[in-house]
Amino acid sequence: MTTTATSPSTATPAYAVTPGRVLRSEWHKFWSLRSAWITLSASAAAMVGLGLIVAANYDTGGREHVDPVQLGLAGIQLAAITLPVLGVLVTAGEYTTGMIRSTLTAVPRRVPVLWAKAAVLTAAVFPLTLVTCLIVYPLTQILLSGTDQEAPLTDPDVLGAVAGTAAGVTALSVFALGLGALLRSVAGAIGAFVGGVMILPEVVSMIPLDAVDTAVEYFPAQAAGNVSALDAVPGFPSPAASLLALCLWAVGSVALAGVLLKRRDV
Amino acid sequence: MMTIRHLTKRYGDRTVVDDLTFTVRPGTVTGFLGPNGAGKSTTMRMILGLDAPTRGHATVGGRAYADHPAPLTEVGALLEARSVHPGRSAYDHLLALALTHGIPRGRVTHVLELTGLAEVAHRRVKGFSLGMGQRLGIAAALLGDPATVILDEPVNGLDPEGVLWVRTLLRSLAAEGRTVLVSSHLMSEMALTADHLVVIGRGRLLADTTVAAFVREAGAGSVRVVTPEAARLAALLAGPDTEVTPAGAERLDVRGTDARHIGRTAAAHGIPLFELTPQTASLEQAFMDLTRDSVEYSATLETTAVATTVEGARA
Repeated sequence: MTTTATSPSTATPAYAVTPGRVLRSEWHKFWSLRSAWITLSASAAAMVGLGLIVAANYDTGGREHVDPVQLGLAGIQLAAITLPVLGVLVTAGEYTTGMIRSTLTAVPRRVPVLWAKAAVLTAAVFPLTLVTCLIVYPLTQILLSGTDQEAPLTDPDVLGAVAGTAAGVTALSVFALGLGALLRSVAGAIGAFVGGVMILPEVVSMIPLDAVDTAVEYFPAQAAGNVSALDAVPGFPSPAASLLALCLWAVGSVALAGVLLKRRDV
Repeated sequence: MMTIRHLTKRYGDRTVVDDLTFTVRPGTVTGFLGPNGAGKSTTMRMILGLDAPTRGHATVGGRAYADHPAPLTEVGALLEARSVHPGRSAYDHLLALALTHGIPRGRVTHVLELTGLAEVAHRRVKGFSLGMGQRLGIAAALLGDPATVILDEPVNGLDPEGVLWVRTLLRSLAAEGRTVLVSSHLMSEMALTADHLVVIGRGRLLADTTVAAFVREAGAGSVRVVTPEAARLAALLAGPDTEVTPAGAERLDVRGTDARHIGRTAAAHGIPLFELTPQTASLEQAFMDLTRDSVEYSATLETTAVATTVEGARA
């Protein structure tokens, strides 16, 4: 048993597609487009601005049920539109521009591209929203001091709700990324997100059945809203259950997109 | 070496590529020719694994494209001009592709210089002309220093200098021992660049031959003669190997002999010549004859109608 035969490939450099390299490539692609910087900074600005405006105008006893975290992080409602749009751009944008042909020629196994895109989006959106929340919330608490909405960030429940909010909007964005990969058109995917995720549940919930109402609360947009609740509201899913539902939506849309990515012609 | 065997693609009941079998060899430029809609691009997309064949298979270097651990070093491809995100710079686009393989940044800079894009490397692709877009596509194709190069209509949108550059590039790639497949719908362009020809029409293989053989068969090498004594010269030139076809009152198309012989014959008999032109343009004609039945949108009827109208107007 001799091993004297030399490999003919020793002269060539070790170029090969690896999952780590695909991730690096997608990371570079994400940050080399202006749309990412614009969408991310606009989302952060909306969260800060809207949170401060809402907190500054709050009067005790104005409404029935108000939650300090949902109040201080009111801006997440806007970010829950802009960040999913970014998710759509990451995948569907490649189809609309034709870039996907270059991408899949470089990575003909295809599916690693989708995982890498989802990972990069998560790595960009979660830290950004978390840090923004951690800055905005204490600021809104200063404005809310002396009202019935005092709840310091140091309270573990508050910290959990704030972190959950960031995680929720991240999962919603990844869900939209999967939607973009499924529909392969920016206009189509944004239309489906607005129509299917934001409008459809409102329409469906008009059906006078308790089962429908319960189901609707686990839809992506509703679940994203419920994640921020500091205390579980009677009749609504708990924040933990809502976050779990959101993650399942995200995993489901990306997994389905992965199956079709492997099967369909580009 | 690229091997295509019984490659077939159907969309519903429309067959775009129909049982295509041919081989592309290293060290030569192979022209992939066919009218618009003949299935050239679809064939190239199937070679690259972007479209799945209905039947048959294509291998490059003995394996399916997707089975290569570093596909960009195996095959470099230029597909439709815009396979690029317009918001990204040329450098960032190429770097994103290079990163998937661990290809160093130096190579990105090198291909940008090679394709003459170094100065615009950090400008967004959005502002690129069609020619610059083609150059970027070629830069991407060369990024992995591949053994096989596939270019879909590379001279589209290039200025004459760019066309010449592509021709020289293709020849030098083949001279380095690479396998080169170039598609075009222009026979004249291929005659200047390619050694070998694969001609398809409506997805079917029409010819798999060398350029030299195609030119010979096409009968290029006919000579156009214009003389006031056409009938007399025709009689003098006529022979068992020479075919003389009158084309108008003073014009003859002569096949089977060369301009030198015709000129000498005319001089020996004191026949004045107004024109003596060896024909090469008939190559395009031969290509059109070959593919006539498979042109997707034929304009023959309209052309004839217009010609008749013009003739009528003249009369």
